[in-house]
Amino acid sequence: MSKFRYSVMLAGLGLIILLILVSIYGAFVGAERAQKFVNTLPLTVYWLAFVLILIAGLVVFRRLVRVPSLSLIHVGCILILAGAMWGSDAGHKLQSRFFGIDKIRTGRMAIYEGESENLVALEGGEHVKELPFSIKLQDFRLEHYKPEYLRVQTGEGEGWKVPVEVGTEFSLGEDFGTVTILRRFENFQIRIEGEERIITDEPGAGYNPALEVQIKSPEGNEETRYVFERYPGHTHAEDKFLLRYQRVVSDYISELQIIKDGKVAAEKNIEVNHPLYFGGYHFYQDSYDAEAGQYTVLMVASDTGLGLVYAGYAMLCAGIFWQLWVRSAFAKMKLKSK
Amino acid sequence: MEIKYTFQGLLIYAAMGAYLFAFVMTLLRCRKTGQALYLLGFVIAVFSFSYRWYDVRHVPLQNLFEVFLCMGMLYPVTVFCYRILRVGGVCGDMLIGVIVLFPSGFVFSAEPQRLPPALQCRLFVPHVAVYAISYIFMAKATFQAICQLAGKSASSDETLLGPEESTYRMICVGFPLLTLGLVLGSLWGKVAWGDYWGWDPKELWSLASWLVYVGYFHFRYMFGKRRARINSVWAIAGMIVIVVTLLWVNLSKLFAGLHSYAM
Ligand code: HEM
Repeated sequence: MSKFRYSVMLAGLGLIILLILVSIYGAFVGAERAQKFVNTLPLTVYWLAFVLILIAGLVVFRRLVRVPSLSLIHVGCILILAGAMWGSDAGHKLQSRFFGIDKIRTGRMAIYEGESENLVALEGGEHVKELPFSIKLQDFRLEHYKPEYLRVQTGEGEGWKVPVEVGTEFSLGEDFGTVTILRRFENFQIRIEGEERIITDEPGAGYNPALEVQIKSPEGNEETRYVFERYPGHTHAEDKFLLRYQRVVSDYISELQIIKDGKVAAEKNIEVNHPLYFGGYHFYQDSYDAEAGQYTVLMVASDTGLGLVYAGYAMLCAGIFWQLWVRSAFAKMKLKSK
Repeated sequence: MEIKYTFQGLLIYAAMGAYLFAFVMTLLRCRKTGQALYLLGFVIAVFSFSYRWYDVRHVPLQNLFEVFLCMGMLYPVTVFCYRILRVGGVCGDMLIGVIVLFPSGFVFSAEPQRLPPALQCRLFVPHVAVYAISYIFMAKATFQAICQLAGKSASSDETLLGPEESTYRMICVGFPLLTLGLVLGSLWGKVAWGDYWGWDPKELWSLASWLVYVGYFHFRYMFGKRRARINSVWAIAGMIVIVVTLLWVNLSKLFAGLHSYAM
């Protein structure tokens, strides 16, 4: 290897080692600070240097261009870095300054059921920006794993998992009697009218899941209890059992419509892992109104540079499998046939 | 440290016992018995994994207990490397079998969990599976690298590759899978969290382990076999970072990141 090539290679190796150290440092300080750190000026210089040394490698080592798998690998790396820089905060600022492309890199938006919104709160929450279209939330739903369970526990720590099936009597054994779930509420509401307490289920108007439970002692005494998902500690002093209604969320679903120029331009039910893509942005299910289930929080992310990064991924993977699996398999076959 | 007095636990300990016994027998030069025990351990490991699958009713690659359980079925990798790639170290594989089953048997809880929404993605199983296989190859590479540093050949069989070449061969097989695992993880991050790279500790450790192998390739390209010992040190360093990626970030609850539920 000539001295010059040797130096380029050494510089490449040095930058790789430096990146190992940066990664380990980043792992120690946690995601938030790591993200800030890699966007600082010295690190920006580092990223540029890495791209330059990769380009220098392609120029100096002819094999990196001649052997397709090696060029896929190294050009793939360049594309990934370029895409990531183009899509970074600094990249967005440069595009807005020089090309007049004013895109929101990332932010969040809260939308109430039945309303449309085009304001995005930027990171940090101090500034808002407008999207060129608005998003309407038709409906927001939570889904839970089935079957749901009512947990019954004695003061001594003995416990049962009673499946929530309305009307089915569940035996707790000879000493404890039985439990029957009489009613299941989406939104438990109570009204006092004169002497009477009126208990109703009003789904849609709020969110207060509850169960009406009948407990029968071995002697035949019956008692009725209400168990609330959102108020787990709710018991009477004389109760024999601690009752809990705990459900596991399996999915959050927002039914969205994109409204552009007064018309519905797109429609999708988004869930975790199934974002909506429109107008250069991805919209993700991020959070929701835990109190009443009436609004959803979406995360908005610009797709700038994403194509480059994905193309780079594809080239990198193809190149590496080709170089290290396919080529060496062929080399071995050739060797054998000789 | 917990001992599992369940059928699942019993299967894990049986497989570990068989692997350990196989290892000892091979060291004592009873190769035939060692082979038979290794195969027996494999059958038990497969049964143990299938039993788990039946038990939780989804592909059991959701938490570290299940990932290590999966890695315990490494016999086919041994056969593939021995027959096709001419890489020995069968004895080392038996030991690797014991080591990878240890966390399942004694460290991680077997309590089945329901899939949280973020894990319900088609990319999830391939992402984890590809990593698990790649880690087995990297572990084999490490064994060869240690043999190289100790100045021993992993096998007396002359037709097999020497330890330095074997290390390289193993990393050549494992590295593409490692790359694919990283890329799949990134694509999944984009779908689940909105960003293909979140700079969280688990991502950064896995990037660091990938980069150590990138460093290995380029160092070995520059110096070839002249610096064989340093080549081996690179390979071992890669494994150390992998172990940190797998265990340390999860175990030390000091650095809560996006992957905290991958426990
Ligand atoms: C993260 C970035 C990089 C990755 C993932 C990468 C990956 C690879 C891989 C997998 C090989 C094949 C190794 C083998 O067949 O044994 C290779 C070879 C090579 N790489 Fe890189 N590389 C990177 C950066 C660089 C840099 C910065 C240089 C600097 C000049 C460079 C120069 C070379 C050269 C000269 C070869 C040898 C080609 C040959 O076999 O003739 N690489 N690289």
